[in-house]
Amino acid sequence: MATFALKSFTGLRQSSPDQINFVSHVPSSLSRSQRRTSLKVTASRASPKLANRSLRVAVIGGGPAGGAAAETLAQGGIETILIERKMDNCKPCGGAIPLCMVGEFNLPLDIIDRRVTKMKMISPSNIAVDIGRTLKEHEYIGMVRREVLDQYLRERAEKSGATVINGLFLKMDLPEEWDSPYVLHYTEYDGKTGATGQKKTMEVDAVIGADGANSRVAKSIGAGDYDYAIAFQERIRIPDDKMTYYEDLAEMYVGDDVSPDFYGWVFPKCDHVAVGTGTVTHKGDIKKFQLATRNRAKDKILGGKIIRVEAHPIPEHPRPRRLSKRVALVGDAAGYVTKCSGEGIYFAAKSGRMCAEAIVEGSQNGKKMIDESDLRKYLEKWDKTYLPTYRVLDVLQKVFYRSNPAREAFVEMCGDEYVQKMTFDSYLYKRVAPGSPLEDLKLAVNTIGSVFRANALRREIEKLNV
Amino acid sequence: MSISMALFSPPISSSLQNPTLTPRISLSLLSSTKRFSLLSVTRASSDNGASTPDSAAFSATTVEIPKPVEEVPIKSPAESSSASENGGDETDLPTTTTEIKFQDAKWVNGTWDLKQFEKDGKTDWDSVIVAEAKRRKWLEDNPETTTNAEPVLFDTSIIPWWAWMKRYHLPEAELLNGRAAMIGFFMAYFVDSLTGVGLVDQMGNFFCKTLLFVAVAGVLFIRKNEDLDKLKGLIEETTLYDKQWQAAWKEPESSSSSSSTVSSKK
Repeated sequence: MATFALKSFTGLRQSSPDQINFVSHVPSSLSRSQRRTSLKVTASRASPKLANRSLRVAVIGGGPAGGAAAETLAQGGIETILIERKMDNCKPCGGAIPLCMVGEFNLPLDIIDRRVTKMKMISPSNIAVDIGRTLKEHEYIGMVRREVLDQYLRERAEKSGATVINGLFLKMDLPEEWDSPYVLHYTEYDGKTGATGQKKTMEVDAVIGADGANSRVAKSIGAGDYDYAIAFQERIRIPDDKMTYYEDLAEMYVGDDVSPDFYGWVFPKCDHVAVGTGTVTHKGDIKKFQLATRNRAKDKILGGKIIRVEAHPIPEHPRPRRLSKRVALVGDAAGYVTKCSGEGIYFAAKSGRMCAEAIVEGSQNGKKMIDESDLRKYLEKWDKTYLPTYRVLDVLQKVFYRSNPAREAFVEMCGDEYVQKMTFDSYLYKRVAPGSPLEDLKLAVNTIGSVFRANALRREIEKLNV
Repeated sequence: MSISMALFSPPISSSLQNPTLTPRISLSLLSSTKRFSLLSVTRASSDNGASTPDSAAFSATTVEIPKPVEEVPIKSPAESSSASENGGDETDLPTTTTEIKFQDAKWVNGTWDLKQFEKDGKTDWDSVIVAEAKRRKWLEDNPETTTNAEPVLFDTSIIPWWAWMKRYHLPEAELLNGRAAMIGFFMAYFVDSLTGVGLVDQMGNFFCKTLLFVAVAGVLFIRKNEDLDKLKGLIEETTLYDKQWQAAWKEPESSSSSSSTVSSKK
């Protein structure tokens, strides 16, 4: 076992042939060469077998990413511990999930409060465009309550064999030796010791950081910072007759008054609507933008009562380091939120699952220790599968959220059926379907036309300003 | 833009600006100056210069607007105080509908009535464009709620492409072509005087052709002084997102490069 393990490490300065006690000889040179070869994808067969125990992995954070990761890990035969600080956390989230998530994660249909099949996009000059005509009967955007979805995924993880702990992750001691465990410090709330909880420690072999935008795991491994947007949302209960309008319709408002680099929204929830907006560059003015959003939707939410005000940071791009040795970040902690639409739930769950799958595969169902190269496989797979999607949405945001004329052009273009079909196809199924080249050409011409017209009108407006 | 806040704040600055218009303090709440065209002598010239065909329609709008405005100063403090009351668990949203609305004689049922824009039996597209620009400017300054009762249905694509060309593309093309011609003439003369190579021979030379390409590209892309910096920023912007994604694949000890990729896009 040891000799064949040695051959796969390139650049290793080991020359002595007797490797019976492989572990004790190797540590210092291994860690140095590991650093040098950490970017090469070396086989994980080099890792030693774990004697009479399974791999122990802790998942910090019990949202969609944590729940999906814990379930996949537990199903793969790995000893999984999920640490979540607030079991009934009501997240300030749009709550929209694409259709493919229901299928891929086998979500029961009663988790979905509403099926949104129509969307209205409203331009700065209040030109409203209806989107959704191209949706088929069975297609919809699911609106969920985060507390319901998160709880469901956690329960499924528990049923698969994961241990769910209600606790707050404090910090993590990084291992000195390459095969030492990570020591997690956390506060456990078990209801008996009262609100403050009990300080505890735990030793694990690997950690998946799924603890969201303000990830402490990310801080522990020095993952670096990212730019983030502030999303501000008010939940408003509106009279029933106004609620019927939002029965299966969501609205998106664009404009300088609503947000300089994002959009304002009205999303229907179980029995109320969520009205919110977000921004990256003008965080101090978020309240003003929220007032403007409410003003734009004023007639439609007339007589409503604000029942909750919430805000949360949303990452704009991935952190510089998404993994370090045997710690990997997934979901919002890694920064997997798309631009333009700000979608994060599906990507969180999917990245949690992908990372867990990489761990299961690298450890051969929990029998061997993993190392950084196994986790890098998850990064590779993720980037290969989803980087095109992220890039396209980034380009869309850069081009169409720049200025009011650009937004007007955007809304005009969204009225086009071909655009709607392509948009929904890529959103609902997360695949970039090849459209017909003739339609693409027509679309390009129409886009240029819309942008030209909108910019021409802006020039006219500037002339009037003088 | 703090225009919506300006609606709620006392108009001290504007009253200082126009001392002769003190009886119109309620009008000055609206930051758009077009509404003073009847009375404000200082602004009249620039206004009328830009919108001669519409001055008649305009006087109609200026007469209409003052009436709803009187109610706004009274209602707005009440509205703003109820909106900012977030201390309790539930806050009521204002239950009154919008008072200020974009109104124009030619804006009918959420779109421009093209019949009213006719001149000599044909639609005067220029005035339609100007009218839509005015509407958008009005909305930028006074954001309005969207209602289902009166949806906005206007689509700019009903204005034919040649109207847009004539109004925007052709003047700018003329300007840019003029610049290119001037640069071209003087560069050709300059190169000829320095090297003795005539115009026809210059066109055969690779270096000269490159210079020509650079000159044309420069005229096209750099129209104002600010464009130079804007272009540099654009190039950096297009590659920033990719750099942020590739950061995970760089060496861990490059802490300086990881901090540089964190530069926020302004």
